[in-house]
Amino acid sequence: MLLNILKRCLQALVVLIGVALLIFIMLRIVPGNAIITMMGEHANPEAIERMTAELGLNKPLYVQFFTYISGALRGDFGTSYSLHVSVSSLIAQAFPNTLCLALAAAVVAWLIGIVCGIIAAIKENSLLDRLFMGFSLFGVSMPVFMVAMVLQYLLAYKLHWFDISGINDWRGFVLPAIALGWNSAGSIARLTRSTLVEVLQEDYIDTARAKGRRRMGVILFHALRNSMLPVITMMAVQLSSLLSGAVICETIFSINGIGRLAVDAISGRDIPLLQGTILLSTALVILGNLVADCLYSVLDPRVRKGD
Amino acid sequence: MRDEQEEMLTMQMEAPEDVLGEADTLKDQLKRMARQNKLAVVSAVVILLFVLGAIFAPVLTPYEFDQQDVINRLASPSAEHLLGTDELGRDVLTRLLYGSRISLLVGVVPTVISMLAGAVLGICAGYIGGKTDVIIMRLADIMLAFPSMLLAMVIMYTLGDGLINIFLALALVSWASVARIVRSETLKLKESVFVEAAKSMGVSRLKIMCRHIFPNCLPSMIVLFTLNIPSAILSESSLSFLGIGIKYPQASWGLMVNLGRQFLYTKPWLSLAPSIAIMLVVLAFNFLGDGLRDVLDPHLKDQ
Amino acid sequence: MKKFLSLLLALTMILSLAACGSSGSETPAADGQPAEATAAPADSGVEDGLLRAAALYDIKTMDVAQTTDDYMVPMNIFDRLFEVEVQSDGTSEIVPSLVTDYSVSEDGLTYSFTLREGVVFSNGSALTASDVQYSFERLLTAGGVNDDIPLEVLGAEALKAGETDTLEGFTVTDDYNFSITLANANAGFIAELTGPAMSIVDAETMAEVSDFGMSCEDTIGSGPYKVTEWVKNDHFTLEYNELYWGEEPSVKKAIVYIIPDASTQNLMFQNGELDIIDLDYLDSSIVASTYKTTYAQQMVSCPRVGLTYMALNANNQYLSDVNVRKAVQMAIDVDTIIASIFAGDAIKENGIIPQGVWGFNENLERPAFDPAAAKQLLLDSGYAEGEVSFELAMDTSASSNLQLVYQMIQQYLKDAGMTVEIKSYDESSWLDLRQSGEMDSFLATWTMDYNDPANIMYTFFGSPEKTLIRSLNYADTAVMERVAAASGITDDAERMAEYQALEEKIVVEDAAWVPLYANTHLFAISDRVESFVPYWAGYSNFYVSDVTLK
Repeated sequence: MLLNILKRCLQALVVLIGVALLIFIMLRIVPGNAIITMMGEHANPEAIERMTAELGLNKPLYVQFFTYISGALRGDFGTSYSLHVSVSSLIAQAFPNTLCLALAAAVVAWLIGIVCGIIAAIKENSLLDRLFMGFSLFGVSMPVFMVAMVLQYLLAYKLHWFDISGINDWRGFVLPAIALGWNSAGSIARLTRSTLVEVLQEDYIDTARAKGRRRMGVILFHALRNSMLPVITMMAVQLSSLLSGAVICETIFSINGIGRLAVDAISGRDIPLLQGTILLSTALVILGNLVADCLYSVLDPRVRKGD
Repeated sequence: MRDEQEEMLTMQMEAPEDVLGEADTLKDQLKRMARQNKLAVVSAVVILLFVLGAIFAPVLTPYEFDQQDVINRLASPSAEHLLGTDELGRDVLTRLLYGSRISLLVGVVPTVISMLAGAVLGICAGYIGGKTDVIIMRLADIMLAFPSMLLAMVIMYTLGDGLINIFLALALVSWASVARIVRSETLKLKESVFVEAAKSMGVSRLKIMCRHIFPNCLPSMIVLFTLNIPSAILSESSLSFLGIGIKYPQASWGLMVNLGRQFLYTKPWLSLAPSIAIMLVVLAFNFLGDGLRDVLDPHLKDQ
Repeated sequence: MKKFLSLLLALTMILSLAACGSSGSETPAADGQPAEATAAPADSGVEDGLLRAAALYDIKTMDVAQTTDDYMVPMNIFDRLFEVEVQSDGTSEIVPSLVTDYSVSEDGLTYSFTLREGVVFSNGSALTASDVQYSFERLLTAGGVNDDIPLEVLGAEALKAGETDTLEGFTVTDDYNFSITLANANAGFIAELTGPAMSIVDAETMAEVSDFGMSCEDTIGSGPYKVTEWVKNDHFTLEYNELYWGEEPSVKKAIVYIIPDASTQNLMFQNGELDIIDLDYLDSSIVASTYKTTYAQQMVSCPRVGLTYMALNANNQYLSDVNVRKAVQMAIDVDTIIASIFAGDAIKENGIIPQGVWGFNENLERPAFDPAAAKQLLLDSGYAEGEVSFELAMDTSASSNLQLVYQMIQQYLKDAGMTVEIKSYDESSWLDLRQSGEMDSFLATWTMDYNDPANIMYTFFGSPEKTLIRSLNYADTAVMERVAAASGITDDAERMAEYQALEEKIVVEDAAWVPLYANTHLFAISDRVESFVPYWAGYSNFYVSDVTLK
């Protein structure tokens, strides 16, 4: 099993290098002179030339790539063209915000998703079940910006329960977290329901029930534990979509996070910043998947046996 | 030589039967779905309505999508303008109808591209195996590691604005998951009796892939197709919400939401109407996809 | 195995919690000030003397030598030799700031200044004539973007080219007296010294700093505020400089949040999260329906000394024809743009020198809006309907109002038989293309740096190179030579007459410039703010000391 985990780590590393290479290639094809944005519109040609040389943009591409990779390994992603500071310092400021937002959203998604999923599974094929499942499709189908906009309007602007923006304290994170979690809640509810329905039909549940335990207890202790595996895997996959949705939420709620940095980097043609933000988010997804994979192989008896 | 010809003949004779058989069961399955799942039928009708609206937009509305009337800008809903007018006095309903063209195209075109690319690569990876498999699957892993929105943003950044580029970006974002699923289907089919039989008869790899594996992957692909359309529509609307992608003066729902957002508390229909349109279309495709999945491909259910 | 697993799970949870916790403490007022964290979001718990403002984009630098628009920090932390003061009647006047007295020689070439005594920088060192000299020289040698003003000083070209290492025209007599000799007489010189670029920096600090303007500790000035915090892409903070020589301002601390979205700013202001909002980026219908009603008593308006114009590239196949350019001028209905997009909060501009600038020509006539005549002119000039086509390049960071104007102009030109495509570029590509001289046409707003027609006339039509980098490619070199020479005319009336003659030639005869409008710059202040006076030219940046809190 350890070998298996090691193998997965190695695979993740290969993917990570591929990701870095792909980002680099995509961003170097781009036309347009970022130096001009960096220096403002009145910059003179000599200054531009000096800056280009300073940033190493006149060197061959492969040299630039190795500089970038070796920098990235040391946590140095270069200097932002538009903000003139190191990309790592920008990311260090923004990353905790995004992580916090994503975790809060995950909690929201879990709470809504699992509760709805359990209820739907217990009351399989009832009206409640159908209602919840229809509702979960609604959750999946609503664009993040719509949920965010409506929440911001109703709960912050109309009712003053929360802040409009996420600049001040935790209260600013509640709405974006709900908006972001909303989407994932739908998929988690559906998954929880379907796995739970399957598990509920298995023999040992009946055995447990026959032993006279209370129905709720049976479900919570046995069924849930056994149906958590796919949900854990799901969460890793959801991480990627949470990070995608964070781009929108951070823009609407003005949270200084990775997604907003990426949007700013695009409008400012800020290649180092874009490289850094994308590389980091992708690395996070890879890490999430790796953890899920490892947990899976540890938890799932079938995988363990197969090893 | 003769054997080969004979074999080709039998193959040709078998093939139509095969396809017919598929079509027949497909029809039955669809009928079954229509009976059991009323929601899926309603969804299909909603989608059809949107398609008709998109096609007949010029007939349905007396206005042009870019016809300005700035003196009447931001008018409230009225008999002339059922959904009011936008910040340049253009009819919102008209823009909504024309916007459905973009959303539906963006839903279908990149999905078709990614389905085809994903199917070809997935079948190759699964059937040929070895290095091909490793390379294709690592590439897929790399693509899947990106948060899709960020990847689409980077691709749009590289390619520049424009509808064609959105197609490309969204196709690039979604081919990998298709390839993965098709590959696993292929791996299963590879072991099946009829593939073994064809192999033992010396049928070429290409033919097996085209004639035996691909048709059998179709049911899952149809389901995937229906389920990938809404995510493409959502991605596009998010991109254009961020101001990436669609050019003036074209109407895109996401862009309409973005531009209407500042009027949310004074003229809510400007941003809510396109939001609801996005939600309806996406919901309809999701319900339909769900229904199709139940009848066509139960084991895909939790993916 | 089970143990290992639970350990792993626990570890993951602790890590994620820790990450969450650390971010919480990084956001202001979360862990540090628990009292504030429990306060209600709207209008309570705001500390006394605090001003909360917002900007759409973060500043790139705090160094005036490196920017032409990030003036918010420099305006507040540095002083200039002269300032422009807005009078109660709305007019503005140049007043001495760091200078107490000055005189000009007969020939208009030599200016002698006396500095205010006792002015110190926020690090305690005195501001002397050598600091002023250093500031001038640095603008020329730092390789920055604001080197056009000191270029007029005698010997500036040589210093910039690296031929000497001192500025010949700058003579320091003693700590508080110095004189500046110009290469050519320029009656607008004092006005130029009020520009934010002419901020005076501390020579001693500069000697030790390599990357000036990037960190708060190193960015030292003598102005009413010092910059104490700059969290990139998030906010920056200005705090009262206790060593400031002038009157103590009402605002003791100002935080400028970076809120890249005008709608969010709007909601924040209404929710009591901001004390001042720049309404330039909001639609006029919101200004009308919300601000002019609910916040009618809290609106502040300021004329924009500058104008929005449309540039036409004379190198374009069609735009090279003066008749096509004239047709463009006639095809655009500026009055309707003002009435609709700006709900009347703008004035029509007819020339290059905007209203409110010295030398403004109120008698200048532009061709009247007449789409039929424009269409006819094109036909008469041998162009079929729809044949004239060019690209209208838009910078995607343009305000939503300007984006609407783009679309209206596209429609107007279409109505006059021209095919115009709006093409969006991100800011850097847009600048890139414009500076290459190959942009067909674009809209932009110029706000005056100082109140003299030279600022706009010379910048746009001063030399072939200057018209190239704005993609105008104006062809008449004789006119450009006259523009460049005009600043040397010592007689004011004569100089203004020359500028007006040139303006008329360029706008009316050559139709090389399409003047549009100057929209009033509107702000709103919260009920915590007593009064606010915007910068005279209508910048979004303002002097925090011009804000008075209740």
